[in-house]
Amino acid sequence: MRRSALALVLAAVAVLPACGAGAREDVPFCLEQSKNDGLLILFAQAVPTATYVPCLSGLPAGWSFAGEDARSGRASFWLDSDRAGPSALTVTLTRSCDVQGAVLVPSAPDEAGLQRYERPSSLPPHYVATRFYVFPGGCVTYRFSFARGSSFGLALEVGDAIEFFSRAQGAKLLAEHGFRLCGAGVTCPG
Amino acid sequence: MDLTADRSAAEPEPHRTAIPGVHQTRGRRRPSGEPPPLPRALGRSGRFWIVVMAILAVFIVVLAGFQIGNSLERGEDAFVRWFAGMRTAWLTAVVRGVNVLASPVVPRVLGWGTILALLAVRRWRHLVVFVGVTLVAVWLTSHLAQLTGRPRPLGVTILGSWRGPSFPSRPLVALGGSLMGITYTLVVPGRPRELAKWASWTLLAALGFAELYLGQYHPTDLLFGLALGIALPVIAYRLHTPNAIFPVTYRTGRAAHLDLGGVRGAAIRQAIRDQLGLTILEIKPFGLAGSGGSSPMRLTVEGDPNRHLFGKLYAKSHMRADRWYKLGRTILYGSLEDEKPYNSVRRLAEYEDYVLRVMHDAGIPCAQSYGFVEISPEREYLLVTEFLEGGVEITEAPVTDAVIDDALATVRLMWEAGLAHRDVKGANILVRGESIVMIDPAFGELRPSPWRQAVDLANMMVVLGLRTDPDRVYQRALASFTPEEIAEAFAATRGVTMPSQSRQHLRDAERTGRDVLARFRELAPKRPPIRIQRWSVRRVTHSVAIAFGALVALGLLLDAIRSGAL
Repeated sequence: MRRSALALVLAAVAVLPACGAGAREDVPFCLEQSKNDGLLILFAQAVPTATYVPCLSGLPAGWSFAGEDARSGRASFWLDSDRAGPSALTVTLTRSCDVQGAVLVPSAPDEAGLQRYERPSSLPPHYVATRFYVFPGGCVTYRFSFARGSSFGLALEVGDAIEFFSRAQGAKLLAEHGFRLCGAGVTCPG
Repeated sequence: MDLTADRSAAEPEPHRTAIPGVHQTRGRRRPSGEPPPLPRALGRSGRFWIVVMAILAVFIVVLAGFQIGNSLERGEDAFVRWFAGMRTAWLTAVVRGVNVLASPVVPRVLGWGTILALLAVRRWRHLVVFVGVTLVAVWLTSHLAQLTGRPRPLGVTILGSWRGPSFPSRPLVALGGSLMGITYTLVVPGRPRELAKWASWTLLAALGFAELYLGQYHPTDLLFGLALGIALPVIAYRLHTPNAIFPVTYRTGRAAHLDLGGVRGAAIRQAIRDQLGLTILEIKPFGLAGSGGSSPMRLTVEGDPNRHLFGKLYAKSHMRADRWYKLGRTILYGSLEDEKPYNSVRRLAEYEDYVLRVMHDAGIPCAQSYGFVEISPEREYLLVTEFLEGGVEITEAPVTDAVIDDALATVRLMWEAGLAHRDVKGANILVRGESIVMIDPAFGELRPSPWRQAVDLANMMVVLGLRTDPDRVYQRALASFTPEEIAEAFAATRGVTMPSQSRQHLRDAERTGRDVLARFRELAPKRPPIRIQRWSVRRVTHSVAIAFGALVALGLLLDAIRSGAL
């Protein structure tokens, strides 16, 4: 009887958070798609100087979210592809990055304020490349590592799914709810 | 009218075996609601942490069900801001130093150190619980973090390094698990353990303070971290390695043997007084070397004069060990008939009591059983038997022709009574003068298969042959058995049917140039080996289940190593 009660308590502790947080997912979706902004805030907290935070506007067909890691100084997530292989793309936010050897390329119209650099290591059929987006207070690195024979078009497809969320906009949204997102543009005590 | 007093002064109950020369009273029935001699105890801290876990589960339900997340978040953030308001340069420097405890290296070093120490002291059960509880804590922590994805406190500058969502506090879970592991698996109970608990609490409190001061965690993150880091291990150790059954001690002795002093000693005295009507004057561990499946003891009973009885304490640990042993045998050797594990400790004690009584009734020389008593319901039972005064293990006693004849005649007697001892080895044969006494019939079987009985003969001849000479034993065996029966015995005998003690003695003899088993086989008529092993669905399913379980455990272990918890 005691053991059953204990098992129930343990099961409740293990399972109940899932009830409350069932709608939450550890995927850094941009605000329009996400019911949980926790990860985006965590990413912003990881690099307080960064004026932008990478997020996913959605997942293209065949791509899946594989994991994330946010820690002081850096935040990253990686995606698997059924064609390009596991961890085909890793996106990392840091305060700065070394763009030596990379080529500055014109940014897309929706990438205003960002400087884009490309550093291919290996061309298709075994595409391996690094892309940098440099902006005030931060840098986002895309690391493409595709399986041999994968189409280069996959890089374009998944690249379009990643967006940059403005810290200023995020801080404003949080302020409406009485929270302060410390970092670039917002000074906090301590 | 005082019925109790009248009864205690009365003569032994007629249905109870009388023990000559011993003061025996009527005993006393335990009324409903009265605790058993050794009640199962989780301990105050165990109960406390169960309550804490329950409260936290309720907290999560409330958090999820009443949409108070934002106000709670604001309140917690405000508290962290207030706490961070006390930051000063010197205190920050000190707290940053304390926060070194949050480094994954600390629990990793402590965790692997504990594992190595437990391996060194061969405390396997504690080791399994320690690794198991660590893996569960890591799994729970990472899933809770993933599910909640809670950001760090807002509105305050976060100092120091951190990793992952803030709920629950991973450093507290990891450090708490390691410290509790050390406290409950390596530190002896009593004052040393109390000191270890205080030291652990101090370190955890210091780390909690540091995490709050540096603005890395909310108060509820810390509370949950403490609950998982402390409650989970404390409950697990209380349930699976209770002090009363698996004491942490650095005295020499086999781990399977239970501590017979303290609370258990008192419980044994009370149980024997109430249930058998005997007054125990002294309890002393006895014959530990030859027994791993129970805790044997010598009981001094009040009488005229005082006399000794033999006690065998069976606990759940022994039953589980028996279960694992039989599972291992099933996988290694296939399904040997009737090697079914016992499903309760009570059954184990009941069975041995029954076999002893049947053997005694059949005239087979063995210790007389006086019944068994309940120490802790479904957890511990004590079998009480005659103490064989003057009995010497056959491996240390002079073995004369008369002893050989008596040993072989005993096997014949068992055959005729439809019995198999199934564990005939040196440690289970005592010599008293010119005769032998069989002990430890826990594996005994009634109406066994022919090869089981045949194996008893071979094992007895091996023991005698090792002590004397195979040719001499074979010649004397012909007086009680036909050559065909002896051939059958050795055709059914191989490693799996021989007790490990005999196998060891045979190997020792082989090193000196004596192959006793081979000599017996030369002497007996030739006969092809008897098939005793077989494949079964059970063997296959158990093997697959064990392999699957090992893979899952390996996965969790790798996960724990990757996440820095180990």
